[in-house]
Amino acid sequence: MLSTLKYIAVVLWSAFVVAPLLWALTTSFKTANGVTGGPTYLPYIGFEPSLDGWRSLFGGAGGIDIVRPYMDSLIVTSSASLISIVLGTLAAYGLSRFEYRAGFVKNTDIIFFFISQRIMPPIVLAIPFFLMLQFLGLLDTKIGLILVYVALLLPIAVWIMVDFFDGVPRQIDEMAMLDGCTPFEAFWRIVLPNSMPGILVASMFCVIFGWNDFFFAFTLTFTDTQLLPVAVVSLNSSVTPWWSLSASALVSVAPLILIAIFVERLLSRGTLAGAIR
Amino acid sequence: MASIHLDQIGHSYGTAVYALEKTDMHFEDGKTYALLGPSGCGKTTMLNIISGLLTPSDGRVLLGGTDVTRTRTAERNIAQVFQFPVVYQSKTVFENLAFPLHCRGWDRSRIATRVAEIADLLGLTSRLSQSARRLTADEKQLISLGRGLVRNDVAALLMDEPLTVIDPHMKFDLRRRIKQANDQTRHTVVYVTHDQNEAMTFADEVLVMSAGRVVQRGTPQQLFEAPRNLYVGNFIGSPGMNFVRAERLDGDLRLDGVPLVGADRCRGIAPDAEIVLGIRPEHIAFAQGEELGVPASIVSAQDHGSLLVVDVAVGSDRLRMKVRRDVSFPAGQARLRVSSDQVRLYVDGVLVN
Repeated sequence: MLSTLKYIAVVLWSAFVVAPLLWALTTSFKTANGVTGGPTYLPYIGFEPSLDGWRSLFGGAGGIDIVRPYMDSLIVTSSASLISIVLGTLAAYGLSRFEYRAGFVKNTDIIFFFISQRIMPPIVLAIPFFLMLQFLGLLDTKIGLILVYVALLLPIAVWIMVDFFDGVPRQIDEMAMLDGCTPFEAFWRIVLPNSMPGILVASMFCVIFGWNDFFFAFTLTFTDTQLLPVAVVSLNSSVTPWWSLSASALVSVAPLILIAIFVERLLSRGTLAGAIR
Repeated sequence: MASIHLDQIGHSYGTAVYALEKTDMHFEDGKTYALLGPSGCGKTTMLNIISGLLTPSDGRVLLGGTDVTRTRTAERNIAQVFQFPVVYQSKTVFENLAFPLHCRGWDRSRIATRVAEIADLLGLTSRLSQSARRLTADEKQLISLGRGLVRNDVAALLMDEPLTVIDPHMKFDLRRRIKQANDQTRHTVVYVTHDQNEAMTFADEVLVMSAGRVVQRGTPQQLFEAPRNLYVGNFIGSPGMNFVRAERLDGDLRLDGVPLVGADRCRGIAPDAEIVLGIRPEHIAFAQGEELGVPASIVSAQDHGSLLVVDVAVGSDRLRMKVRRDVSFPAGQARLRVSSDQVRLYVDGVLVN
């Protein structure tokens, strides 16, 4: 009885999650007639399938070329995430293991300084970022966006990794040093391989944030560089091309779904659980 | 292997109180020492100073005569086993045991041979290819120990209560294996424990610590027979030493009117000093026949397996004595025979003579 209820709940939840994707999938194969003809889901029976929506992604009629924004998004997101994770992990290890002091400023203050960067709403940051990038001549460039994203992602990485390293017993580092490692080797050869779960979680947050960001991509780039979320929104005109919009939504969400599946695999294998002890 | 010399070492963790009081200490090459004392008395601090995990606030550390106070842990080449097992979860058992040798740049075949030897010694051979993540606490601690033993050139082997997390039935076995490994390697060993049995069985010499200082060091026998002060007397032995105030009459020391210690042993003690007698429970027995004995009344008896610990009242004092199970003793009133040459005298809490 209980398991039946459980299955019903799971099925309902799956429908709730899958339905919008299904809707987008069918819509992406429709034409203007198919979209306005009321809700239909079965190709050939409910509507006449067409590849117009998908073609428009590659510069077809009524669409824009989405390949370049897609690549730009991939480059910007992965570079910014990678830089943030590398710097964030190093900073977090230092903050977790060593004591820093500059007058009344101590480790916890430094950590708060990092996190406090995310307290302000994005709109407050937009103008300073704009002016800074303009000064550097980096407006409308990938490098400029990467810099901005690193500034936004680094606090997340530091925060997650400090918390993670604090949970790793200091004895692990001490033991590695007793076994003959320098402090950096202890971090590199022992603590880091043990910290993959934390790094994975932090990377996931960084990638999701970077990939989904619209606001900064919109305010800091114009024509030379265009990220995927901006490109997708620019499809919207007086007559909304639902078909190409759906197709582009599907390809934009695809990497995140792949990441979700990958992380879920690791979770179920127990790789993320009980990293220490 | 090397001797360890702590030259005027002291340490405080940033407060006015010293976790380790300024002290001068020497550990000889190839000997086994036990640091014995309650939690928080500075034992672990001392180990961490020796291994370099902690830089002392005062003094110098000398390994084999060389000043290593500012030398990195890795370069001191010391093996240390912590209270809680530390294994590298991302590695297999073999990789865990091989890691210290890798760090020293040994070649592959030499590592394989050495790891096999240590695994055999610790009974881990069948586990070598397993991931270290899924082992029991006992096995993890064996690996921690193995990583310490695998280098046969370490300057010293430090063990910080390594048997605390081990199942009681495994403890005995593990203790034997550690001792066996020690006898083979003849490292300089410093073994921290709060278990006196462990200290007594392992060590050539025992150091009793209290509140950041070493109160007494000596062989297990010395600590048992002549504790330097009341603290050591209480701490060593189970139950600890009995301490009772002596009456001083005609130069003799008496217990409830019965002379126990002759005037000759009181020479040099101020006539008005208050003398406390220290008597081990093992050195009290029931007087037989017409023997002169200290009158006592029996309060209770506790069964300790092959022995009984009997609580007796002498005047207003309470004493504990150990009696073999098969000895029959009277209920209520009894007379006690105390081996007077085993009685120790204490003035102001400190052993005299």
